[in-house]
Amino acid sequence: MRNASFLALFLLLAPAAAAPLDPEATDQLVRTIDERERNSGDWKALVYMEAKEKDKTDVVYDLVVYRRDKEQKLVFLFLEPKTEAGKGYLRIDKNLWFYDPRVGRWERRTERERIGGTDTRRGDLDESRLSEEYTAKWEGDEKLGKFEVHRVLLTARTGVDVAFPSVRLWVDQATGNVLKKQEMALSGRLMRTSYYPRWKKVRSESKKGDVWYAEEMRFYDEVEKANQTLVLVKSIDLRPLDPNLFTKAWLESKSR
Amino acid sequence: MSGSSSSRVHQGRILVEIAMRNLVASRVRTTVVGGIVALGVVVVVLGSSLLDSIDAGMTRSIQGSLGGHIQLYNAASRDPLALYGGTMGESVLEPISDFARLKGAVLTVPGVRLVVPMGIDQAMVSMGNVFDVALERLRADVRRRMANGPPAEDPEYEAHKAHLRRMATLLQQELRQAREIADETSGVYKDRKADFDALARAVEGGFWEHFDEDPLASLEFLENRVAPLSMDGGFTFIRYVGTDPEAFQKAFPGAQVVEGAPIPPGQRGVLLGKLYAEEWLKLRAARRLDKIREARDLHGRRIAKDEELQRWVKENTGQTRDILLQLDPVRTREAVRRLQAALGTKESDPARLVSALLDTDDRNFDARYRIFYAELAPLLQLYSVKVGDFITIKAPSRSGYVSSVNVPVYGFVEFRGLERSALAGMMSVLDIHTWRDLYGYLTPERAAEIARLKERAGATMVAREEAEAALFGGGDAPPAPSSAPQVIDENRLLAAGGGKGAREDLFLRRYGQAETDAGVALNAAVILEDPRRIEETMPLLVEAAAKAGVRVKAVTWLEASGIVGQSMKLLRMVLYLAVLIIFAVALVIINNAMVMATLQRVKEIGTMRAIGAQRRFVLSLVLVEVVTTGLVFGGLGAAAGIAIVRVIGWTGGIAATNDTMYFLFSGPALIPRLGAASLATSVAIVFLVSILSALYPALLAMRVTPLEAMQSDDG
Repeated sequence: MRNASFLALFLLLAPAAAAPLDPEATDQLVRTIDERERNSGDWKALVYMEAKEKDKTDVVYDLVVYRRDKEQKLVFLFLEPKTEAGKGYLRIDKNLWFYDPRVGRWERRTERERIGGTDTRRGDLDESRLSEEYTAKWEGDEKLGKFEVHRVLLTARTGVDVAFPSVRLWVDQATGNVLKKQEMALSGRLMRTSYYPRWKKVRSESKKGDVWYAEEMRFYDEVEKANQTLVLVKSIDLRPLDPNLFTKAWLESKSR
Repeated sequence: MSGSSSSRVHQGRILVEIAMRNLVASRVRTTVVGGIVALGVVVVVLGSSLLDSIDAGMTRSIQGSLGGHIQLYNAASRDPLALYGGTMGESVLEPISDFARLKGAVLTVPGVRLVVPMGIDQAMVSMGNVFDVALERLRADVRRRMANGPPAEDPEYEAHKAHLRRMATLLQQELRQAREIADETSGVYKDRKADFDALARAVEGGFWEHFDEDPLASLEFLENRVAPLSMDGGFTFIRYVGTDPEAFQKAFPGAQVVEGAPIPPGQRGVLLGKLYAEEWLKLRAARRLDKIREARDLHGRRIAKDEELQRWVKENTGQTRDILLQLDPVRTREAVRRLQAALGTKESDPARLVSALLDTDDRNFDARYRIFYAELAPLLQLYSVKVGDFITIKAPSRSGYVSSVNVPVYGFVEFRGLERSALAGMMSVLDIHTWRDLYGYLTPERAAEIARLKERAGATMVAREEAEAALFGGGDAPPAPSSAPQVIDENRLLAAGGGKGAREDLFLRRYGQAETDAGVALNAAVILEDPRRIEETMPLLVEAAAKAGVRVKAVTWLEASGIVGQSMKLLRMVLYLAVLIIFAVALVIINNAMVMATLQRVKEIGTMRAIGAQRRFVLSLVLVEVVTTGLVFGGLGAAAGIAIVRVIGWTGGIAATNDTMYFLFSGPALIPRLGAASLATSVAIVFLVSILSALYPALLAMRVTPLEAMQSDDG
């Protein structure tokens, strides 16, 4: 009886242990991440990209990212440096195309394409579709720096072509922002670690709500340890895009 | 004095007479020992002439193809120059930023005939899948029609459309089986169903009837929905030497254009390596037929007994798609007609006909091979790239960005003697201007532009180890300020950046010699008037370049040839070792024969000693016998060796039966050639070996006493 009283007192006074997220809550967490970043209308962002690679000169780009999330279409148009201007990517119906105006040719690329030779993938600049592409499993709660975070493991759904078959997320409990990602190969080998230290929101009329985006993304290559890429989203334009923008003809026209 | 001299002559004559008598008297022994000597000489003459021929052939091949006599490269380079690649891949060399300056300096050195700029690298060539290639052709037609207006008749455009429709039909047939076995309840099936529906639409007459109403949308449909279903194509890698094609042609007679024409002076272009084209660009069925033929004719292999050949035949009969996809409806009808006639069948299904043609066995192979090349091949494009085409070469440049360049294919190049070498025969020759574009030397202007972009972005990189602390250690929840949507005008930004990246038809430009020389190169081949002066010229070249402000290293062609050079050195060592072993064995055998012969003659030598013969006389006697045997039989052996070398030459040489032998022989056969110097050396060495091997038995003979002779029960 006396022991039971001590146990009750101990449980009462002990700090509350992290309650595990059940599968439904975990799925909801991932759906919320997608929902916050989703924009029902068109999306245009001015982006700066900088990559450092071992024994190489730094690679730097200014580019525009165009998205029509409803149709899952995407275009990247490189603006600078001068030698890269007019190059671009186009994604339609799960096809990723690369265009180089200097040779006037389109080339089919895979989801694993390193955009502009940096450590950035198509998915990093596209709409978040984590709940469509992966199944989620809560792994635990912990601290990342001074932030309380949920750690969640994502595994790619069968038949979905993604850059990495499994991804580990660190999600800020307070805001729901993804602060850190680890991306793994099929073997489980860690391939890339990403950090998202700054988030912003922008009011979208088409969504009738806020659209969240990571203003700063940092990618660290875990295979070539000396390689890292920084992506900065400099501005967002939410006006409707040209109906013919997501075509080869439009991208070709930008370099004529 | 004259009396003593006359006595020596007399003694010498007696010595020779006794020696000759002994040799004649002991015919069997003389023949055995002489035979061994003769055999040794034959082997040495033959071996040294083979070694000389291999050495000279490979020297000629490498010097005449890529190596030159001396190679120069930036002295600050960490890696050594490896023309054919090293064990760790391509060597990373610091650039020679101004080749013109180096050339000017090197040409002041006496005895230098030519200096050729070079840059060796690897890049990717995008091949696309067969659908993408056909669609690219149709898109070019559409662009042409949109720019100039559709002509009244456009047979090329109609043929391209008909071809694509046929390709879609073939693809539909191929995927039908996959659909039949698919699990209709799975999620994948839904995706596949959408694919089958898209394919069905691409085959329907209605789609093609309305194609011209919105050709761009129709193309996008085919490119994005149909072409991805054809799972082939992709990239191949190309290894090339960027150079001044005119100087290269003068310096390297071993590089021969086997199809097409050389790159015209001052123009951009590429000559593709013939072996590269065979291995990577040729229609797979044709390549397999070639390999089966080679295996049968050169190596004596038979389909019936060889699993690999059987596998190739099976692959050929099962994979007719590559061939069928190339045939538009008109060519398909023609192919059916020709194959029916050639095979004597009434089969009308093109797939079954092609499969029947490629279903070869040892009995019908030669006939089927001939039918393929005579009847079917003229209707096909055997190589995915042909002379006159443009290829897009893409390479990660030294400035970090990926460079792509279109370059016209002028022809196919083969390096004489290295045609079959996987290392050397794969090399293509590219003009240096295109090479410089791909190499992407970071000019000061480009470096300044990148610095400006970085400064404008105001970005700072965070080290990996400090990232979490620096990015999340700050404390409070990350701010989430709202940002108002802004206006992004890409046209204005593109104009402000200074370039729209318009397509440049660089291949139309013409370049003068000064333009070709002025620029970056990675190494330079130096050709001398006299190749024997390589060693003494190297320091002079380094000194002359240093005076002009260019610090270079000089290496011989053999050092520069990397793996190829190492294998050549190894080969030389193996051959020399083989010759050494032959000599060692000959020495032991001759020595034993002479010891046996001497022991048999103990009584005779003892008797000679008893009647007053001095020890020196006995020693001389044995040596004269051996020398005479060596001279006579060595001469006979040399004559026989020469005769064998000549006969091998007359009968076409020793055929190379595999790629390694082809490489060693620097061609399809090794024709040994006799070098006077090596012949004389070989005979002298055998002669010396004979004398050395006779020394021990001669000493034994010298020690024989009359008493030992009398005690001997021999004879």
